[in-house]
Amino acid sequence: MSEEPARPDFAGENRTRSAKEASIKWFLFVCAALSVLVTVAIVATLLVDAIEFFTRVSPVAFYTGTNWSPKIGEEFGVLPLVTNTLAVTVLSALVAIPVGTASAAYLSEYATDRTRSVLKPALEILAGIPTVVYGFFALVYVTPALRGVGVPVGTFNLLSASIMVGVMIIPMVSSLSEDAMSAVPDSLRQGAYGLGATKYEVTTSVVIPAAVSGIFSSFILALSRAIGETMIVVVAAGMSPQLFPSAFESIQPMTSAMVQLSTSDLAGGTAAYYSLFAIGLTLFVITFSMNVASNWVASRYREEYE
Amino acid sequence: MATENPDRGESWYGSDEGVSQLRGAVFKWGCLSAMLFGIAMVFALLAYVALDAIRPLTADTEWLLTFFLTLVVPTGLLVGYYARRDRTAGWVGGTATALPAFSLLVGSGIALLLVEVFQPIEWFGTTLALVAVIGAIYVHRRLRPDPVAFEGAAVAVVALLLGLVGIPGAIPSLSGLLQNAPLALNRATIMLYSFAAPVGLLAGATVARRRESRRAGAIAAGLTLVLAVVAVVGAPTVGIDDYLLVVLVLSVGVPTALYAENVVRKREHLVGLALPVVVYGGVFVGATAVQAFGFAGPETWLDWQFLTNSHSRFADEAGIYPALVGSIMMMLVIVVSAFPVGVAAALYLEEYAPDTGRVGRVVNLIEMNIANLAGVPSVVYGLLGLALFIRYADMNTGSVIVGGLTVGLLILPIVIISAQEAVRAVPSSMRQASYGMGATKWQTVRTVVLPEAIPGILTGTILAFGRAIGETAPLLMIGAAAVVFNPPNAFTEKFSAMPRQIFAWSHEPAAEFRYGVLAAGVVTLLVVLLSMNAAAILIRNRYQRRS
Amino acid sequence: MAEKERPTFESRRKFLVGAGGVSVATLAGCIGESGGGGGDDSNEDGDGSDTTDGGEDISGDVTVTGSSTVYPVSVAMSEEFQKMHDAVDISVDPTGSGGGFENHFCPGNSDINGASRPITEAEEENCAENDVDPREFQIASDALTVVVNTEFDIESITFDELAQIWEPDGAETWSDVRDDWPDEEFELYGPASTSGTFDWFTENVVGEVGAHREDYEATEDDNNIIAGVEGSETAMGYLGFSYYQENSDRVKAVSVAEEDVSNAVEPSLENAKSGDYPMARPLFVYPDAGAIQEKTQVYEFMNFYVEQAETDIVSEIGYVPTNADLRDENLDRLEEIRNE
Repeated sequence: MSEEPARPDFAGENRTRSAKEASIKWFLFVCAALSVLVTVAIVATLLVDAIEFFTRVSPVAFYTGTNWSPKIGEEFGVLPLVTNTLAVTVLSALVAIPVGTASAAYLSEYATDRTRSVLKPALEILAGIPTVVYGFFALVYVTPALRGVGVPVGTFNLLSASIMVGVMIIPMVSSLSEDAMSAVPDSLRQGAYGLGATKYEVTTSVVIPAAVSGIFSSFILALSRAIGETMIVVVAAGMSPQLFPSAFESIQPMTSAMVQLSTSDLAGGTAAYYSLFAIGLTLFVITFSMNVASNWVASRYREEYE
Repeated sequence: MATENPDRGESWYGSDEGVSQLRGAVFKWGCLSAMLFGIAMVFALLAYVALDAIRPLTADTEWLLTFFLTLVVPTGLLVGYYARRDRTAGWVGGTATALPAFSLLVGSGIALLLVEVFQPIEWFGTTLALVAVIGAIYVHRRLRPDPVAFEGAAVAVVALLLGLVGIPGAIPSLSGLLQNAPLALNRATIMLYSFAAPVGLLAGATVARRRESRRAGAIAAGLTLVLAVVAVVGAPTVGIDDYLLVVLVLSVGVPTALYAENVVRKREHLVGLALPVVVYGGVFVGATAVQAFGFAGPETWLDWQFLTNSHSRFADEAGIYPALVGSIMMMLVIVVSAFPVGVAAALYLEEYAPDTGRVGRVVNLIEMNIANLAGVPSVVYGLLGLALFIRYADMNTGSVIVGGLTVGLLILPIVIISAQEAVRAVPSSMRQASYGMGATKWQTVRTVVLPEAIPGILTGTILAFGRAIGETAPLLMIGAAAVVFNPPNAFTEKFSAMPRQIFAWSHEPAAEFRYGVLAAGVVTLLVVLLSMNAAAILIRNRYQRRS
Repeated sequence: MAEKERPTFESRRKFLVGAGGVSVATLAGCIGESGGGGGDDSNEDGDGSDTTDGGEDISGDVTVTGSSTVYPVSVAMSEEFQKMHDAVDISVDPTGSGGGFENHFCPGNSDINGASRPITEAEEENCAENDVDPREFQIASDALTVVVNTEFDIESITFDELAQIWEPDGAETWSDVRDDWPDEEFELYGPASTSGTFDWFTENVVGEVGAHREDYEATEDDNNIIAGVEGSETAMGYLGFSYYQENSDRVKAVSVAEEDVSNAVEPSLENAKSGDYPMARPLFVYPDAGAIQEKTQVYEFMNFYVEQAETDIVSEIGYVPTNADLRDENLDRLEEIRNE
């Protein structure tokens, strides 16, 4: 390039250049806009077949029915699946939220650089383990261990699956909450120390309240992940939906029902087959709105502290 | 009021400091132990699965003792030394030890692709065609230093098309011609020309730049070629096909040697290089000793047979080989599809997108949309893949390409977000400097921003690929096979991937499957995954130190 | 790409075994010098090349989808077939009978679909629209077994009595069904409504598809049925024969008669094979006639499949093999289809 002779015709070169620049810009834009197409495609896919389903089974029956048995009597009440998904979410939140928040508080406020450099990658490993492996852990190790300490769990049960889902989403809570806590301006901390507060008081009364919207947004995001989690519950939670689930027995959340529907002996083209997409749509709407809510909470937080 | 209260003074001077310190300490240690509980639980589970897969306790005591003496003790001593004297050397040693193992994984991946997917002659033709294409572009630049609009791009595209695809029905592609040409070359020679030569050139160029000496570069390139030739000559003694041994030896040897050269040249923390010698030397000595004395090793599930067999209904004969190759091929599709698109999208969003105006609002929408897509459950992506690629585009059910594209879509938002972060981290002063020298936007992006952001982009995307390799639910939806007995020969064929195979095994009720084969499969998957994560972390550490 | 020359099975083995040597030196930390592995491999190497030379030179893909009940049989068959013809790529996927027909077989993406029930008319029409022509082959059967506690004094039962116990709003106590049985409440264990076993049982024993009481312990893991029946003296359950076979010391199987108690037949592979045992559920595979005619590998695989369906390969899984008559009939029909 540097050897090019100097040319007086800058205008021509500029035209070439700007045409090239513009086309590159458009190409990159198309790549970015592809993500919107993906969303549209997801919605379209789910809607088309879900509508097909709703022409056969009324949405009212679907969303208010309390019995999910696509086989016996073709009853398509999605409520048991929803309550079971909720059960998994709540139980896993009981594991993930305290542990995740505590980890975030420790990493952000107490840990030295050296401990952080060991603990953070360790937490990241938790996030990197495939969910089918967590499912395997729940089925093969956690359930027998629970039995060993006297908890009367069945082969497939809500409890051990939820524990593993909880462990899986710990890193999500901890890393996002830690980001939120670290983003609290140091001046706030200094001010509190200046008033004679101890480190504990600074952490619990200043940092956590100041970061609370960020922490909440991390909870929402992690819970939406728990709702959409598939393989752990497919492998370890069983396949019997219960309107009022017991922690020790087999249940069936929405995702697990979807996998089962797509791989079971059900005859294709039936309402049962299309119900797959109706559940998928429900699941998509729930998780999507939770993500939107999480972003909204987080953006409120950003306005406050920047 | 103040004077009347005798307690006030005490509380003011902090008599209850003791209490609050206790409370603070309880809180601090509570937080720490909560975190450690989570981490410890998973590590305990990992230890369990490793124990089940490897069953070290089934080995002879002498066997364990031998390896303890030859491997564990020396390594432990050396690590202790690093911890007390020279921590940086410890990092150097760790890297130097991990690098060959990781390179061996990558090299085995390439070798597997050469065995199962591409023929060496195809590889050869493609390499030569690529060389021709680069040559054509270069010649064009020399002949016409002042190209009109898009001329350069057009020449490149035409050359690529002619070289790799040809014009269907009219002109065969160059690589096709080369493949069909009656060349009297055996596979080893082919790989020498088309693999060892480029790798040698690359190594030579690296060394020449580092040492600022062409001679050193020439030596490095020469050594690489010598190593390759030695591999070919020595192949019969090792028992591996020569053309594959070339790939394995070079992919292990060259990165390791380059790293060692770097350490030696700087003459810092040289003692770190002792660690790989001790570790691999210990393994070698131990293995020799064990064989000489005839100590029996563990009856492990995760043995070579497991890695090279396909599924069997008998636990003893079951293996993961076809699923392993399937996973590698799927990764290839993901890398080719999701990586460029993701990086391009990130570049647009960070470098080009306006913040305001109508386009700005569209861009905001896109960004929000990407964040939300990252949270869509994987099973929904499976439905998308089923509808989009199988029903609509009519591709083959459960084929590698459908699996790769579906999972590629799934990790696309993650790739975009992490690439965005990396691009954002490039200081704007560098951009300003580039503009100041008259560079256009694209020139700035291509020559300043991208090179600077590449380590960060790689870190993020490797982690995303790690997620991709473990995804199972989408594969169930698009109908990836539970069991295949041969790896797919082409990307349009049905395949099984490691997590899919693991899921299939989890249905086998027999204890031998649950605690043996399944555990071995999980460990294989985790080894691949954790080494990917380790690579990402290594890249990040290097990068962080530099900036 | 499939037509291009592939490295032989042997060369791959050689590479893999050799690479094993290399990585023993590098990765032995985890793998170790496992003497067994190498030895096994070299044995198999020999096997592989022998049979490759002996077998006909066929290659190509065979895709098997369908019922998860038939899946173990198909996997075993492909495993054995693959040993003789390693150039044939067989993939087996449990997609469910219906899911297999709807998503894979009828659209023409699969050569063979397994089914634990006969194909429905709707599915046949769907296939016909895509010029796919499914042909039925029964390749095994599953002997449903009624089990009770080993302490419980009952030896035989009829379909009618079973129906009384399992139909919706069925009997509450044993004595409701037969007078000389104890006046105790049932504890019932059975497969979840999603299983093919459940389907067959409701259709053939209770008398109507899906007609089944809901107040029973439904489980996906047949081991739970065994454990439940073992743990309670008045319990009853039904499950596939293979699980009973593995646990015959823990629970007691009941002889079953279609009508008259005196004709009750004890569940066993022999009785089921001979056709005496009434609760044998047939398992089918549906190959596409077009695939049989056009793809040699599909024909060869089907030929192997129906021929071997009569052997121990099937009984080892715990299913009932076909008898010699059925096998010959199947083979003849396969030949006819091929020559159509």
